[in-house]
Amino acid sequence: MTSSTLTPTLPDTRTRLKVTAAHGSPALLSLVAMVVIFSIAVANQPGILSIPGLTLMLMSAVPLVLATQAQMLIMSVGDIDLGIGYLVGFVTVIAATLLQTSPFVGILVLGTIVIAYAALGLIIQKRNVPSIIVTLGMSFVWLGLGLQFLPTPGGEAPAWLAAIGRWRPDWVPAPLVFILIATLVGWLIVRRSRLGTRMRALGSSPATLEKLGWSLTRTRVLTYLIAAGLIIAAGLMLASQTRSGDINSASNFTLMTIAAVILGGGNFSGGRALPLGATLGAVTLGLITVLLSLINLSSSLQSAAQGLIVLAVLAGRVITERAIRS
Amino acid sequence: MTTTLPDTTSQTVRRRQAGRSRLVWPAWGWSFIGMIGVWLCIITVSSGSPIEPLNQALTLAPYLVLVALGQMLVITLGPGNIDVSVGAIISMTAYVSVAVSFSMGPVAGIAAAIAAGIAAASCSVIAILLLRVPPIIATLATSLIVASATLLLAGANRSGAAPALRDFVNAKVAGIPVIAIVVGLVTVAVAFALRRTTFGLAVIATGQSFKAAGKAGIRVPFVTAVVYLLSGTFAGLAGGLLAAFISPSTVLGTSYMLDSIAVVVVGGTLIAGGRPVPFGLWTGATFFVLLSGLLNLVGWSVGAQNILKGVLVVLVVVISSAATRTGRSSLRRLLEGRRTQTPTTKEKIHG
Repeated sequence: MTSSTLTPTLPDTRTRLKVTAAHGSPALLSLVAMVVIFSIAVANQPGILSIPGLTLMLMSAVPLVLATQAQMLIMSVGDIDLGIGYLVGFVTVIAATLLQTSPFVGILVLGTIVIAYAALGLIIQKRNVPSIIVTLGMSFVWLGLGLQFLPTPGGEAPAWLAAIGRWRPDWVPAPLVFILIATLVGWLIVRRSRLGTRMRALGSSPATLEKLGWSLTRTRVLTYLIAAGLIIAAGLMLASQTRSGDINSASNFTLMTIAAVILGGGNFSGGRALPLGATLGAVTLGLITVLLSLINLSSSLQSAAQGLIVLAVLAGRVITERAIRS
Repeated sequence: MTTTLPDTTSQTVRRRQAGRSRLVWPAWGWSFIGMIGVWLCIITVSSGSPIEPLNQALTLAPYLVLVALGQMLVITLGPGNIDVSVGAIISMTAYVSVAVSFSMGPVAGIAAAIAAGIAAASCSVIAILLLRVPPIIATLATSLIVASATLLLAGANRSGAAPALRDFVNAKVAGIPVIAIVVGLVTVAVAFALRRTTFGLAVIATGQSFKAAGKAGIRVPFVTAVVYLLSGTFAGLAGGLLAAFISPSTVLGTSYMLDSIAVVVVGGTLIAGGRPVPFGLWTGATFFVLLSGLLNLVGWSVGAQNILKGVLVVLVVVISSAATRTGRSSLRRLLEGRRTQTPTTKEKIHG
C-alpha cells in the first residue's frame, strides 16, 4: 500500500486491480450484505425508498460511522480502543449540559478529551503498555465522569446542535450527506495524507517507519488526537439526534465499531485502513438493527439475530479471503 | 516483579534448583499492598471491628474471583484472547438456575446454570475455531445471542431463588463465608492444574507462543476450546450462585465483564498471556471490593468510584509494565497472529 511512495515507478493497472481485489474483497462482502439487508427492508416497507424513509433508516448509522472511522484509525496503528462507547456517551452528556449552560467550559472539556487521548497515545507508545487495557481503564473514567455530570439521562442539547439534527433537505437524505462526509474525512486522512501513510506504516512495520526517520511517538499521538476529534463528532451527532445526554446511550459502540472495522476489511494487526469498508461495515450493522425492528421480530430476539448476522458475514469474509488468496 | 521471565513454572523450578533465598517480588504484590492500604483506610475511617470489612469483602469477592478465574485462563492463552461474554452469561444463567431449581431442586439448578454457561461458550468456540472469527468479536456475538435468551427467560420466569441455595450462599463456617472457602478451593485446583498438569502447562505454553506450542505437539485448538468452555463454566456457576445471593435481573452480570478483566490485570496476570497468577485474583478482587466499600463509606458517588477504578487500572498497567518490561511488544506479536516478526526488533523500537 505504501509502494507508490517508496518505488519510483507506480504499479501498473493490473497489479493495482489485483491488490484492490485482495484488500477490498471483505468490504465488497459487507456491501453485498448491506444490499441484501436493504432489499429485504424495501420489500417489507416500500416506503423506505423515499427521502424521509431513507433518512429514518440511515439516521442511527451516522454516529456509528463517525465512531467507526475513529476506531479504524486506532486499529490501523495496531491498537484497539475499548473506551469509545462510553466516551461517545460522555460527549452527549457534555453536549446536553455544559455546552448548553456554559458553551466556553463545554468546549474546554471537549478540548481536554482530545488532550487526554494524545496523552493515551503517548503512554501507550512510551511505556509499551497494551492499548486494550489502557482504553478499558479509561472507559471506567468516561463512565464515571458521565455519571458525575448527569446521573440520569436528560439535559438538553444546544439549539445549534438540535438544528443540525433537524436539517432535512428535500433532495437528499441528510444522514447520507453526513455519512459521506465522515467517509471522505477518513479517506483523506488515511489514504491521501502523508500522516495516513505513516499511521499504516506504524501498524505494519514500525521498524521501517523509524528507519525512514519518522517519530513513532508523534505518529501514534497524532493518530489518537484525530481519533478523539472523530469520536467527539460522533458524540455531538448522537446528541443532535437524541437532543439529550445519556452516558449509556452508546455503550454498545465499543464492540460495534470494532466489528464494523473488521466487517469492512480491517484487521487486528494494524497496517490496514479502509475508510469505505469501515463505513460499509457500520452502515450494515446499523441497517441490521433497523431491519430487525421492521420485520416485527420480537424485541427479545433482536440482539441474537444481530449476533448471528455478524458471525455469518465474518464467516463469509474468511471464506472469500481464502478463495482469493489460493 | 523484578524478574523478567514471564512464566511462573520455570521461575519456581529455577528457584527450587538453585536453592537461592533471593526474595522474588510476587506478581500479586501490588494488588496485595493496595488491598492492605485500603483496609487500613477503612479501619481508620470506620469505628467497627477491623476484621469486619475483610469479612464483608469475602462475601462479595468470591463471585468476582470465580468469573475472573475463567477470564484469567482466556487471557493467558495470549493476546487477542478475551472473553467479553461473561457478563451476559452470568445474567442468563442466573435465570436458568432459578427456573430449574424451582422445579427440580437447587443442585439441579446450579448444574443447569453451568450447562447453560458451557452451551453459550461452545457458541464462541465454534465461531473462533471453525469460522476463524477473532475472539473479541466471537464472544461479543455470543453475548448478543445470550442477551436474547436472557430476555426470553426473564419474560417467562417470575420465581425467586430456592431457599436451600440462599442458605448455602449466606452460610458461614467459623466466621468465614462457605462460598469463599468453596471458591478458594476452586482457585487452588486451578493453580495446581496450571503448574502440575499437562493441560495447564499447555495453556501457559500456548500463551507464550502458540507457534512454538503447536510445533511442540500441543493441540492448540483443543486447548483454546477447553479454556473458553471453562470460562463459560465459571461464569455459569457464578451466575447460578449470584441468583441466590442477589436475585436474577437482566443486568446482573453487566459490570462483571469489565471488572473481571480489571481484576485479572491488577492481580498480576500478564495481559500479553503466558503468565497466570491465580492467587492475584483474590488480592485483586478483594482490593476492588474493599475499595468500593471504602468509597461508599466516605460517601463517594458511583461516578467518582468509576473514575478512580479506571485511573487505578491504567496506573497499575503502566507501573507493572515498567517493572516487567512487557506489554505492547508481545501483545502486538500475537495480535498479528500468523505474521512472522521477531519480538526483539519491536522491543528495541519501543524501548
